[in-house]
Amino acid sequence: MLAHRRLVLTAAALLALPFAPAGAQTAPAKGEPIYLGVSGPLTGPNAQYGAQWKQGFDLALDEINGAGGIKGRPLAYIFEDTQSDPRQSVAVAQKFVADKRIVAELGDFASPASMAASPIYQRAKLVQFGFTNSHPDFTKGGDYMWSNSVSQADEQPLSAAFAVKRLGMKRIAVLHLNTDWGRTSKDIFVKAAKEYGAEVVATEGYLPDEKDFRSTIVRVRDAKPDGIMLISYYSDAALIARQLQQAGLKLPTVAASSVYSPKLIELGGDAVEGLFTASRYFPDDPRPQVRNFVDKFKAKYGKEPDAFNAYAYDTMILMAQVMRESGIDRQAIHDGLAKVKDVPSVIFGKATFDPKTRRVSGAVSVDLVVKGGKFTIYQGGAVVH
Amino acid sequence: MSSWIDYTINGIIIGNIYALLAVGLALIFGVSRLINFAHGSVYVVGAYAGFVAVTQLGTPLPLTIVIVVAVGALLGLGIERFGLRPLQGYAHIAPLLATIGLSFVLDQLVQLTFSPDPRALPSELLERRFQVGSGTIGALDILIAAVGIGSAALLYYFLRFTRLGWAIRATAQDRDAAQQMGVDVNAVNRAVFAIASALGAVSGLLVGMYYNYIDPAMSFQATLKGVVAQVVGGVGNVPGAIAGSMLLGIVESYGIALFGTSYRNLFAFILLVLVLVLRPNGLFASRRQTPPEPMTGTFIAPSKPIQISYPVLIGIAVVMALLPLVLPNPYVLQTLTNAWLYGLLGLSLTLIAGTVGLISLGHAALLAIGGYASALLSLDLGMPVGASILLAGVIAAAIGTILVFPSFRLRGHYFSIATLAIGEIVSLVILNWESVTRGPIGVAGIPPLSIFGFELDTDRSIYWFALAVLVILAALQFRLLGSHLGRTLRAMRDDDIAARSYGIGLDRYKALAFSVGSFAAGVSGGITSHLYSYINHETFNSQLSILALTIVILGGMGNVTGAILGSVLLVGLPEVFRVAAEYRVLIYGLVLLLLVRFRPQGLLGTI
Repeated sequence: MLAHRRLVLTAAALLALPFAPAGAQTAPAKGEPIYLGVSGPLTGPNAQYGAQWKQGFDLALDEINGAGGIKGRPLAYIFEDTQSDPRQSVAVAQKFVADKRIVAELGDFASPASMAASPIYQRAKLVQFGFTNSHPDFTKGGDYMWSNSVSQADEQPLSAAFAVKRLGMKRIAVLHLNTDWGRTSKDIFVKAAKEYGAEVVATEGYLPDEKDFRSTIVRVRDAKPDGIMLISYYSDAALIARQLQQAGLKLPTVAASSVYSPKLIELGGDAVEGLFTASRYFPDDPRPQVRNFVDKFKAKYGKEPDAFNAYAYDTMILMAQVMRESGIDRQAIHDGLAKVKDVPSVIFGKATFDPKTRRVSGAVSVDLVVKGGKFTIYQGGAVVH
Repeated sequence: MSSWIDYTINGIIIGNIYALLAVGLALIFGVSRLINFAHGSVYVVGAYAGFVAVTQLGTPLPLTIVIVVAVGALLGLGIERFGLRPLQGYAHIAPLLATIGLSFVLDQLVQLTFSPDPRALPSELLERRFQVGSGTIGALDILIAAVGIGSAALLYYFLRFTRLGWAIRATAQDRDAAQQMGVDVNAVNRAVFAIASALGAVSGLLVGMYYNYIDPAMSFQATLKGVVAQVVGGVGNVPGAIAGSMLLGIVESYGIALFGTSYRNLFAFILLVLVLVLRPNGLFASRRQTPPEPMTGTFIAPSKPIQISYPVLIGIAVVMALLPLVLPNPYVLQTLTNAWLYGLLGLSLTLIAGTVGLISLGHAALLAIGGYASALLSLDLGMPVGASILLAGVIAAAIGTILVFPSFRLRGHYFSIATLAIGEIVSLVILNWESVTRGPIGVAGIPPLSIFGFELDTDRSIYWFALAVLVILAALQFRLLGSHLGRTLRAMRDDDIAARSYGIGLDRYKALAFSVGSFAAGVSGGITSHLYSYINHETFNSQLSILALTIVILGGMGNVTGAILGSVLLVGLPEVFRVAAEYRVLIYGLVLLLLVRFRPQGLLGTI
């Protein structure tokens, strides 16, 4: 078993070669590791996301360190659990800031925890790389706040185009998570959908720990929509889809790309059959960086990767690239983020930062539909006539 | 019109689910006078036991239920034996805290064993659905209702017509008298915990199957809704708990129908506060029921506090003030700054809960009011930051006292539950009142701390500022406790009837104490918001209310120094246990349990 695993890893390292920069050593990295600090939830209600980050990070590190690390030194991370609680994320921020080994910080998960720590990182001039922070104000915290999280201003118009232009929805009911992310997304989606000529007949915001949607669904049904948009994570999207099915409300449903996870199908069962969604990448995607990521992820963990795995993986690859090009101290990373160009990325194809907003734009998008218990590329046209 | 039928049916279906939880909670409360905060954890354990049985062993449903009942009952026996029996004879507050510690431990064990990922809990046999109105009802809905009503009927029979049932009721009415009449009170407790926990575990299984979804984080919500439902029905009243659950489900459903999904819990908690204020015994309490137990004097353990002389306290304060010069480690300073800010919260609650005896479970709301007030005053009205924090304290005191005033006539647990609800209401109003609070987007770009125009932009200066505020407010509170007013407040706690006959206007003194306490909490929230630069409705969540109470109990109720010590420990311990990574919450829970076991009057003792 062990030998088998090593074989897989070697194969993975070999596969990684074509994507390593020219001139990288093939010998595994040695010496004193370079550390990134990760502030995120490993316990508490969001612990599942921290666990997914780790998988993505570890996969990327296998690849980076197998190909010589950063100038011969291995890259590593120190993960501090914050439960995504601002009280703990500020303490962790101080810890990282004081720890001279840490060259940049990744996280936190939710906006309150991430943005509470921003003033500390900004004062200490340590890059805070909030790779899941889509809150529009996150990078406004200062010039050391960077993010490659997919901007909702990019994503939601694509969802709206899918729902309205491609599927032909004219009266849309929107169910959204009532969080900063869900609310921002909903506003952008509604605006885009209206521009494309559809009407939004209902918007219902629900709390993240909600499990029962029966009455919400009655409200949605009474608004007589011809299609439903879910701005949800996979767990709540699965719950809503099941309850829509139980209520006998058969309407074409589009979900935000955040539901893209094998868990959606596990939890939703046949209720998510026919659900439309979009993804930044797709397992059968021919793009080499996606093939590389998906194949290696399946080899290492024996399951399909999901969106959070991909964000974490992409982020680690990106940071490695920045350090290779610009150096491995705190200031060099800050400066390097503005300079780095066209980093191969699962999410963006090629990632380049806009130095003004400190964000990446132009995420790749593939329209998907769940068919036969699998995400498949949607080939069809309008479903609402 | 037909929609209203649907809303009603949906309300009843969800009420069914609450009922399963509420019945167990009611049973335990009826006998032990204890809100079992570990009940949600039992529910989670039941769900995962069912998950293992179904997915690993492939058991059919009846056998799965038997397994889950057994696991739940054993767990209940364990909780009773190791968590609660050692605390017999201690004040009521000790077991309450023990159940909080137990719930940390159980939730964390489940999470470590099964990973935090949500899991599917399939129920192949129960997919049949029947058309009712314009929706459908599944076989599982009927099973849930049958289990809920069936178990209530069985319990009713058991409590009315069996010897053990009589013993349970006798113990519930008067524990000491029952013991003198030869009732084995321990056996009664065991039986009650086993039955209630078995029921809790089965509800976890059924609800997990219902949603085809289980995760370790679902325990807190389960406890919360169960508590609300049973209080609406009348605490400790089993048939009432069922009726209360149905009512709660229907009110939530109608709330959604009228105002939208994001108002759901707002209605649930407003219903709760109304019931508590208008009919404190619950809607379905019979006249014959014993009045709510006067908790005064029994709720808080009398003890001899550890006396720390003023010169020593001043010495400690000086050492703490000098610390940044000796140990300029920003991580330590930040952790201690957090501890000072939570110390302010502790001061607030130790005055209200310890000195006056009003155990508030919604204290985070005061932080939230203070935080939002200071943030919005400085951001939208351009008020200087120092002044905005002071005014935030005043606003928190005013709003807090007005909101809580109608609940002052409640006692013991009833007051606690009312404040729990008020805390949730404040958080939901912040979420929904978008024109002022910016709703879920939150308030960003809050200006940094400054005082008289000097910006506090180093870790040290922030540390000193928080410490100075804490020392000033703590000194004032010492002064207050030593004064005539302090004695009056303690007299009300120890015997409110005697205090009243002595001519003390209870409500006015309670309001006075509450507003003084709320000021400190509001200031703490205000400082926090400037420190964080961004807050939203989740920044000050209900877990913080539990933390506040834990701080106060740990330090010793009413004890000013104790509240600060408790805060240093509870903010510091999770940081110390960082090396333990995923295990640290588990260790934290265990330490909490040990402290309750061996020092129930708090580290420094009740004053």
